[in-house]
Amino acid sequence: MEQEKEFTSQESLALITKMITRARRDYLGTGLSALLWGSVITFCSLVAFATAYFKWSPALNAVWLLTIVAAIVQGFIAVREAKARRHKPYDQDLMGGIWIAFAIAVFMLSFIFNLYPSNGEPAIYLGLYGVPTFATGYARRFRPMVIGGIICWILALISLRIGYPYTLLCITAGAVSAWFIPGLIIRKRYLKAKQQHV
Amino acid sequence: MFKDLNPILHSQLRLAVVSLLISVKEAEFTYLREKTDATAGNLSVQINKLKEAGYIDVTKTFKDNYPQTVCKITPEGIKAFEEYVRDLQSYLNIKK
Repeated sequence: MEQEKEFTSQESLALITKMITRARRDYLGTGLSALLWGSVITFCSLVAFATAYFKWSPALNAVWLLTIVAAIVQGFIAVREAKARRHKPYDQDLMGGIWIAFAIAVFMLSFIFNLYPSNGEPAIYLGLYGVPTFATGYARRFRPMVIGGIICWILALISLRIGYPYTLLCITAGAVSAWFIPGLIIRKRYLKAKQQHV
Repeated sequence: MFKDLNPILHSQLRLAVVSLLISVKEAEFTYLREKTDATAGNLSVQINKLKEAGYIDVTKTFKDNYPQTVCKITPEGIKAFEEYVRDLQSYLNIKK
């Protein structure tokens, strides 16, 4: 970019728009966290469904322990991304707070439902999945996450009308629509932007 | 000519920097360089001009033992940018 080049008012507005668009592209990050959780929850819920449907050994339900491994991996991703980040969006702390509160609530509910099983577990989880997903999509104007959050809430209602183990498929659909698909889109955008050095 | 437009902001690189800084809470020098495709020397000069005008704050720290320059827009910078955009819009309207 040249130092003091004369430019027209149209060029000025175009430059402002271009720079704001470039900055916005980075708001959503690398997409790794969304892909991680989208994959792990999809995998765990499908294994849990297959275990119940085909009457496999109940020990296979321990697959949900993978979420603890995913939480550790998430920690590494968060530290690595924080180190690599060279700018700070206005809502970064707010978004971080929402997702941390969500993670704590999910792990707390897992513990509670382990002690006091409830029929409405999938609906509660899906209702909860929708909150940070919708909030992130809404705040950062990322429609796939807004849609993902709404789908989670619809699935929460559907799960109340269908029986176990099919409710687990609602969890699968929720994880795919809220995190896996948006994660793929974010990742694709991130890699494209990285390739272009913008 | 754009005599009424703020001369500090009516420069390609300075306007690009301020447009980026208005979109984020703060940004490192390397981030601004990458987004503007500017050379380090040129960007450094323009950042100093914006700093002297009171439009941005520049903080020099260390990150992982490497020097780090963090830029942040000031309330004065936000006001100047908003005025600049308003002037630009009114100029375009008159021109139409």
